[in-house]
Amino acid sequence: MKRRTLAAGAFAAALIGSGRAKAQGATGEPIKVGAIISLTGPGAGLGQPQRQGMLLAEKTINAAGGVGGRPIKLFIEDDGSKPDIAKSKAERLIFDEKVSAIIGPSLTASTGAVAALTNAEGMPELCFTGLGPRTELTYKSLFHLLPPQDLNARAMLEYTTKELKAKKIGILHDTGYGQVVTNQLNTLREKYGVEFSAIEKFEVGASDVSAQAAKVRAANPDVVFVIATSAVPFRNARQVKIEQPIVSAIGSSTYDYVRGFGEYADNIVFPEFLVGEQPKDSQKAFVDAFRKEYGSLPKNFEAAAWDGVHIVAKAVEKAGPRASGKELAAAMRAPYSGVMASYDFTKDDMTGIDLSSYVFSKLVGGKFERLPFTTK
Amino acid sequence: MTFTLLIQSILAGLTNGFVYGLIGLGIAVAFRGARIINAMQGDVALIGAVMAYSASVSFGLPMPVGFVIGVVAGGLTGFLVDRLMIRPTLKRRGSEDSLLLVTLGGAFAVSAAVLLYFGRDSYPIPGIGGNDIVDVFDASMRVHAIWLIVISLAVVAALRWFYAKTLVGQALLAASIDPEGALTLGINVGRMRALTFGLGGLVGGLAGVLVAPLINIQYEMGLLLTLKGFAAAILGGLSSPFGAIFGGVLLGLVESLAVVTISSGYKDVVSMTLLIAIMIVLPQGLFGRRGRLGG
Repeated sequence: MKRRTLAAGAFAAALIGSGRAKAQGATGEPIKVGAIISLTGPGAGLGQPQRQGMLLAEKTINAAGGVGGRPIKLFIEDDGSKPDIAKSKAERLIFDEKVSAIIGPSLTASTGAVAALTNAEGMPELCFTGLGPRTELTYKSLFHLLPPQDLNARAMLEYTTKELKAKKIGILHDTGYGQVVTNQLNTLREKYGVEFSAIEKFEVGASDVSAQAAKVRAANPDVVFVIATSAVPFRNARQVKIEQPIVSAIGSSTYDYVRGFGEYADNIVFPEFLVGEQPKDSQKAFVDAFRKEYGSLPKNFEAAAWDGVHIVAKAVEKAGPRASGKELAAAMRAPYSGVMASYDFTKDDMTGIDLSSYVFSKLVGGKFERLPFTTK
Repeated sequence: MTFTLLIQSILAGLTNGFVYGLIGLGIAVAFRGARIINAMQGDVALIGAVMAYSASVSFGLPMPVGFVIGVVAGGLTGFLVDRLMIRPTLKRRGSEDSLLLVTLGGAFAVSAAVLLYFGRDSYPIPGIGGNDIVDVFDASMRVHAIWLIVISLAVVAALRWFYAKTLVGQALLAASIDPEGALTLGINVGRMRALTFGLGGLVGGLAGVLVAPLINIQYEMGLLLTLKGFAAAILGGLSSPFGAIFGGVLLGLVESLAVVTISSGYKDVVSMTLLIAIMIVLPQGLFGRRGRLGG
């Protein structure tokens, strides 16, 4: 596993390095790749970083000579976070633009809508969602670039039970993302031998959740899980004097949310894949390239998008320039060591990400620090 | 349930309730003066918050100046809503439904414009008293939330005086209740409507600068605020500013007490059941009649 990870780092570094050396780049007939992401609507928080990661990958691959001398050309479409729009954009990309593969969408509902089309065509689709409805297991050209929520929940419980040795957990979650993760936590409760002493929820966009936070505090848990896509519950938790460690989920680990935590951005742990401040060796080249291009540090979604474009490029290289969609999908069904994670697309869940790809970060004085803890 | 938990739920309920009430207040002002439901009220608050943030954080102006700019921006937005959207629709004999749809469309347009020019990120804005909190029997409340409550009550009192004691306020009510009768008395109905929307906009801008420190500014916040504010205004009586605040506080307290006494999962069930019951018994809302009479 480690050897694959190092190889991926070397591959990315080589691409970036050779990109600098080869000023001429790729010039042949472009390899068309469609991308459908949520640049507007509720999913815009996902789509914007995904766009940055994909564009950087396209630029880097082309600067390094493309794939067999042919440049990658991305056709990025915004689905407005709506499945029906995602489907119509996919139709245009597949039948009008005649793309070789689809990357995206950003949201589960849109993934399902697009996958019905790509599956019928046998076209590879690399979506930015974890495994969704069970029907997705029957789609053999649908690959997931993010882990299922079950794995995110397991990562939270691994840290809580093995590093913090805690058994009594209080949960404060929103009714969107937080609810999905909490559902998974409930299914894992017995396996990890933990007790949820309080589970309190609040609506997305709530202005004050201190009543729920106080109820969690009153249950006197060893650790508190705060799972939400806003800063409010994190602030309220500390304001009602929850002094226990807070463990959160990957979806709450964006710089955007953390900025909103203010002075309370401390002693909060996130299981995630990339800590831009202290990346793994295999991630350093990507982080440096990203910082140079955009002047900021990347997070998990940017890395997944970078990986998505590279997976398509590698599959085209392996299957040949005239490969059909089905041949391309077949070429993808293999292990791949990416920047974000180590994937294995031969697995049933069409992602193959396991707990060993996770890293754990902790907010200390408003800054992310990578923790030495691993699940190995 | 411990005493501290009860106090905390009341404090949280008051904070949320005044947030709902402040948005509802702007909706009530527009309805009272023009008989139009402004579905943009939450987005007017968004504009106020964005302007306050830009002035104080991006341009480095003192926070009080930023707050004033945010409130004035809200007022200007309200005025422009009347001039650019309401007036042309009425000129073409637009119905109440089309006016509601026009303002709803405006709400989406504002949200999209903020996304385009301000970005998807959420932005924290310092509150009055920073992040300081006040301890009440081991429960806590932000100093800013206390100021939000005090300022809201002051605005309601000022509006009550304005409608009851000033000529402009009474002309505004007359133009709303009987536009043709008001015209015969020499009241410029169009100007009164513009004033109403400007006033509603000022309240919306104020809501924006007061609510933003609690939830952070984000391009989608407008519609969420409008929904809760609308519920508060209906509960209190759409034409009553005091009713909007009362409705908001009642809604906030019921939600919060439902969290600690029943379950956070049933919070909305409890509060919406109450809303339905009140609407059946009092279709005009709790203060609908009084609002109609100018109270």
